This record gives sequence, structure tokens and C-alpha cells, in this order.
Amino acid sequence: MFIDIIIWIIQIILVPAVAPLCVGIIRKIKAKLQNRQGAGIFQPYQDLWKLFHKDEVISKDASWIFRCAPYIVFTVTIIIGASIPLFASFINNTVTGDLLIIIYTLAIGTFFLALAGIDTGSAFGGFGSSREMTVAALAEGGFIFSLLTVALISGSTNVFTISQTGLLYQSQYLLSGTLAFFGFFIVLLAETARFPFDNPATHLELTMIHEAMILEYSGKKLALMEWASANKLLIFIALASNLFFPLGIAQSAGISAVMLGMVIFMIKIVIFCLVIAVLESSIAKFRFFRLPDLLIIAFIFNVVAIILIH
Amino acid sequence: MNIEDIQQYLPKNVKVEICGNIAFFEVPALHIKEIATNLHANKNLPLHLITATDERAEKEGFKIWYVFGISKKNMFVVPFIRLQNTVTFPSLTPAIHSACNFEKKIHTFFGLTPVLHPDLRPIILHENWPANLFPLRKDFDWQTKVKEIHGTYQFQKVEGEGIYEIPVGPIHAGIIEPGHFRFSVAGEEIMLLEAKLGFVHKGSEKLFETLPLSNKLRLCEKISGDSSFSHSLAFCQAAEQLSDALPPKRALYLRVIYAELERLANHFGDIGAIMIDTGFNFGGANGARLREMIMQINERLTKSRFLRNVNTIGGVTKDINAKEIIVLGKDLEKIQKDFFEIIAIAQNSASLLNRLKGTGVLLPKTAKDYGALGVAAKAVGILSDIRVDFPYAAYDELGFNTIETESGGDVYARFRVRVKEVYASMNLIQNALTKLPKGPILTPRNTTVFKKNALAIGMVEGWRGQIIYVITTDLAGNISRVAPCDPSFLNWSLVGEAGPLNVVPDFPLINKSFNLSYSGNDL
Repeated sequence: MFIDIIIWIIQIILVPAVAPLCVGIIRKIKAKLQNRQGAGIFQPYQDLWKLFHKDEVISKDASWIFRCAPYIVFTVTIIIGASIPLFASFINNTVTGDLLIIIYTLAIGTFFLALAGIDTGSAFGGFGSSREMTVAALAEGGFIFSLLTVALISGSTNVFTISQTGLLYQSQYLLSGTLAFFGFFIVLLAETARFPFDNPATHLELTMIHEAMILEYSGKKLALMEWASANKLLIFIALASNLFFPLGIAQSAGISAVMLGMVIFMIKIVIFCLVIAVLESSIAKFRFFRLPDLLIIAFIFNVVAIILIH
Repeated sequence: MNIEDIQQYLPKNVKVEICGNIAFFEVPALHIKEIATNLHANKNLPLHLITATDERAEKEGFKIWYVFGISKKNMFVVPFIRLQNTVTFPSLTPAIHSACNFEKKIHTFFGLTPVLHPDLRPIILHENWPANLFPLRKDFDWQTKVKEIHGTYQFQKVEGEGIYEIPVGPIHAGIIEPGHFRFSVAGEEIMLLEAKLGFVHKGSEKLFETLPLSNKLRLCEKISGDSSFSHSLAFCQAAEQLSDALPPKRALYLRVIYAELERLANHFGDIGAIMIDTGFNFGGANGARLREMIMQINERLTKSRFLRNVNTIGGVTKDINAKEIIVLGKDLEKIQKDFFEIIAIAQNSASLLNRLKGTGVLLPKTAKDYGALGVAAKAVGILSDIRVDFPYAAYDELGFNTIETESGGDVYARFRVRVKEVYASMNLIQNALTKLPKGPILTPRNTTVFKKNALAIGMVEGWRGQIIYVITTDLAGNISRVAPCDPSFLNWSLVGEAGPLNVVPDFPLINKSFNLSYSGNDL
């Protein structure tokens, strides 16, 4: 129990501490792939530091939702960050470690993010929210079914148990596991506003999804929003790596196992960042009305994966 | 110029004056519609420009000039009407749609009303500008401090269930020129798109009346900064018609080289920008890289990345020496090889092509009606290129006679036109470098006075399309009016036509595929 609390505390700190680094690494790799020097991988930390020291401009039409949303969105990512296996799978979390709780707690964040986008009444926020909800609604099916696949294989809906059992390595589950992973990866790209769904680097306000929703934010609240979206990216990378590839995760409470788990977790993060960066450098963004096709593919992958389990 | 060559274009019983390659004649205001429609529809002459001059000081009233060009012959037929004691004239717009914006502009800036014009909302000037002040009339002092009124601009409205409006700009999220776009949208689909520009109006046309000659030249280079060389070239060509300082041969070849370098730099930039707007970062980064290479060549050759201070009346000021000819030829070969490889990779990207093809389709009929110019016109298959139709500089001698076209009219077609023009420009420069004649680069000119009471036209195919300058002189031989026209002025209407039926997130890509100048439109 005592060790569980320590791990919990580490996880609460680890997610917000490492998340900006993921963004920095992806940007750096993208820059290198474009023959650019690019900013250092710690730039996102400096951006956050800068934003936290800036004044804010809040529209006079904004309600309490606009003011509260950054805190809610950020808190949600912290709670989820502590409720999923990052580097250790042995802790016994039966309260928030259930996959349905994870999926729908994340949805609370998305819900408030979308509300905040509409709140000021600006045109961009409005269509940003409308697009976000379209994508989120379509991604939800794929998200649930991919996690359900691994839950059915492992016989538990607790993410720590799933990670602990690691049954995906058994050859009869290999195909379902692979399909479910690809389905999940598409959802990851959609939920974290990455290519081919959204372009995190664009300055074209009419094409934005995530950026359009937070266009009205400035200063500290913008920093929280940016930070929360980095956290969300890390959460999805952690889910993808620890539910589908739990190799190397600390399964017992030894210091060396935990240290090794952390190192391997970092390596997994870098690999996922590399994949995302290569993807973003090699393809163009899809047209908005083609995105449902892609999300439905993710859903079908997972349905097939579930059928193949038995 | 031989009067027989143009006899067929002239109405009977008019007194024709010849000035260089221009035949101009006065027609009664009542007949202008009939005469212009005849020239445009029956004789198939393109209407290049309609502009007005205020000659009330010389007791001549207002004059409105209609510039028609005879392609391949490099001649112009310019009927004009005179408005004495009246401020109305018959509108051509119901018969010739491309006259629409020109007449709106005359209405806004001269206070002359085209009767039966379908849309007389002000153009370019802001709604806070008083409706009874006309800045291009000679009695309007350019330093007047204008009192702000609080008017409103009536946008077109679309009504119906689920239709909403998105106002975009004039301030954008990126560092681009200011312009306001009003979208009427059903879901994500654009129903109507209206652009309202004029936010970078600088009073350039009025400034042309007050600045001394050398500064007029500098001002041309700032009409649209990315077309500095083409704009100053058009101005110089018009001014050279009015003086006897025709440039020497070497200068004509150098002008081709510089003009094509400008085209290369901007086409590279646009090709990259189109790709980056789809999120295809590889292509975007390389487009920017190639553009920069050309800009550095420009700087090396002329000390100006934008080729400013190069053109002057009577020739050019910057020569290319023998050593530089070899280096430039080699540099261009290397750039061409790079470009070829980048385009090959781009053409293999299914996700990129999917974004470009079928997006922002412009119909050939629409393009013709609006008088589309340059890349936009070539992308629907309209064969129009001033370098071929009204050859200037050394294009004729270099045997340049192919107009690169596409037929799709979509973003991809405009992308392809640029790619093809890049190769054509590379060949042109290499060709000009090998044939570059020896001799001076500038014909000196001792006087600042031009032919008296005359009219001259300078036309250039800038990288966007046709740039035209009409210059008139007064009885003393001083320039009394300069009317510049960037292709953006006509092509902006096309963006509004290409937008509807696309989804909103595709609009930036469509806009980029036209890449029109705000500054060149707003003057």
C-alpha cells in the first residue's frame, strides 16, 4: 500500500514533467527531417515558463466556463496520468484504473475544452469545437473497442492488470492484438490532434481543430491548455506502449525493477515520438470529410480483433 | 505604327491620334458601350484596363479610357469618353463582366457613376471614408486629414436553415497581409465567399502624382513587394515609350534574366507554400529552401534580394559579368536538378495529390468572364501570356512562344502551371545567358520631360500575371497620371468563385494556390 502511494505520487509528477519533452522531441525530429536545425527539445518548457509570466486577455463575453475550463482540462490529465501504468504495473488501483473510467474521464476534458471553445462566441472557437466533437464522437468507438480487445484477452478491465498479464504475447492473440493496436494508434492520432487529423504547427486558423478551440486563450490559461494537451499526448503514448507492449514494465516493487521500468518507458516514448514525427513529415493532412473514413477503419479493426479472440 | 493595321478596329468617323503603338480616339459617351462591346466580343480584343483621368484644370473635364490590346501586333486601341458637366457615364459591366471592378474603382475614387452598374458598393476605400470625398480628383490634396465617419459595408447575405457566417480577418493567425473574408457556411461547406479588401490602401496612385520621377520608380517597386522587378519594368517600359531613351540590347536581355529570376523565386515559394498548407512538410521546407537560393543569387547579382533599384528608364543599372554568367548557369543547373527530385517525390505522395486534385475548381467560363489573368487563367487552359502576346524586352528574340497551360482549373492545375513555368524560366535564363549581347546597359537620358499630352502603356507578365501601367502626360510633358494594375485586382474575384462548394478547411489552400497580392490590389 505504501509503495502504491509512492508510485502514485511519482506518476502525478512524472506526467506533467515529461509531457512537454515529448512535444519538444517530436518538433526536433520533424525539424531534422526537413533539414532544419529546429529549437532545442526543452523549448516547450521555456514556452510554458514564458506563458506563465504573461498577462491574460479575456473576452468580456466569456463566462465561468472559459475561466474554469483550463483547470478542469489540466486536472483531468493529471488524474488520468496517475491512473494508468507508466513504468510499474504491480500497483493495485481499483478505483480509477478501470478502462471505462479512463475513457470517460478523458471525455470530460474534451467536453469542457469544446465548451470553452464555444464560450466566447468567436467563429473560430465555434467551428473548432464542432470539429472536435465530430472527431471525438467518431473516435470514441475505436477507443473503447481497442481497449475492450485487450481487456477481453486479459480477462480484466483494469489497466494495471492488463499490463501485468501481458497476454498479448501469446501467439493465438497476436493477430487481434496487432489489429487492436493499429486501431488504437489511429485513435491516438485523432485524440491528440496529430496528422492526418489536425496540424499542430499550422497558422491557418480555418484549418485548425484543437488550436481553434484555444485561440481565445492567452497567458497562464493558454499555458495550462498547452500543457494539458502535451499531457494527453503522453497519456496516449503510455496507454499504447504499456497495454500493447508491456515489455520491461516493473512487475514487482524492487528499486532496480522500477528504475529499469522508467528507462524502458522513456525509450518507448522516444520511439512513439519518432513514429509520429516521421508520419507528420511524410504525409499531407487529410481533408476534413475523409477523417470519418479513417476513424471507422479504426473501429472496424477493433471489431475484427474482438471477433478473432476466441 | 501603320494606321492600316488597325483600321478594322476603328469605328467610322472618328479622329484617331497615334502615340507610339497606341491609337486613341474620342467617342461620344452614348456610343461607348456599343463600340467597346464590338471590340471585345466581335473583334476579340482583351479589355486590359479602364481608368479615368481628371483634366478639369485644362477644361477637358474627366476622361475615361478603355484600353484594348491587339495581341501579336503589340498595339493598343484606346477609345475614350469625355465627361463635361456630368458625373455619370454608361456602365459596360452588363455587357463585359470584367469591367465591373474597374468601374467600381472609378466610382469610388473619382466620384463618377457608371449608370446601370449592378453593384456600386465602394471598393478598396474603408467604410469609414466619407462618401463625398474622391481622392483621385486633382482638387483633392494628398495631405488632407479625413474625418472618420462610421459607415457599414453591406455583405451579401445567404439565408436558410443551418446557414451561419464566419468572419475571417483582416487580422490573421499567421503573418500574412490583411484581408477580410466573409464565409456563409452550411456545416463545413462554403455557400458564399466574399472578400473585402483595402486594408493596405496606401494612396499609391495619388502619390504617383506628387512624387518626383526617381521616386515614382521606387514607388512602383513597392506596389507589390514580391513583384518589384516586374512592376518597375512595366513602368519603365511605359516611360521609355514617352521618351527617346530606348534601352540597349544588353539591357533587354538582362531584363529577361532578372524578370525570370523573380518568377523562379516566387514560384518556388508558392509551390512550397501550397504543399505546406496541405501539411506536406517535406515539400514546404524544400520550396522555401529553393526560393532562398534564388533570393541569394538576386542579392549577389544586384545587392537586392527583391531586385530593387535595378530597373531604370533607359535600361538597367546592374550588369552581369562574364564570370558571373558561368557561375549563375551552374547554380541554376543544380537548382533545377534539386527541383526535379522534389517534384518527383511530391507527385508520388497520394495524400498530397488527394488534397490538391479537385479542390477549388474554377470553371473556364467563369475565368473568361472575370478576365482571369496569369496562373489562374493558364490553369483553366486560357492561352494568355504577355511575354508571347505582347512581347517585350528580349522574349521575342529568344524565341519564347510556348504558354504553359493546364485544363483542370483546380489547385493541382495551378500547382502544375507553376511547375511547368519553373522549367520554362530556367531554360529562358540559360538561353539568355548564352546569347547575352555585348554593349552598354543603359541609354542615358538628360531630361525629365516627356512627350507632351501623350499616353503610354507598359505591360509585363509578372509571375502572377499581366501587370499594366498606363501613363499620361500633360501639356508641359510632366507625368499627370499613373494607373498601375496588378493582376490581383481582377483575380481576387476568382477566389470568391472558386471557394463555394468546398469545405472551409480547404479555403487557405485554395487561396494559396492563387496567392494574390493584397498590396497590389489595394494600391
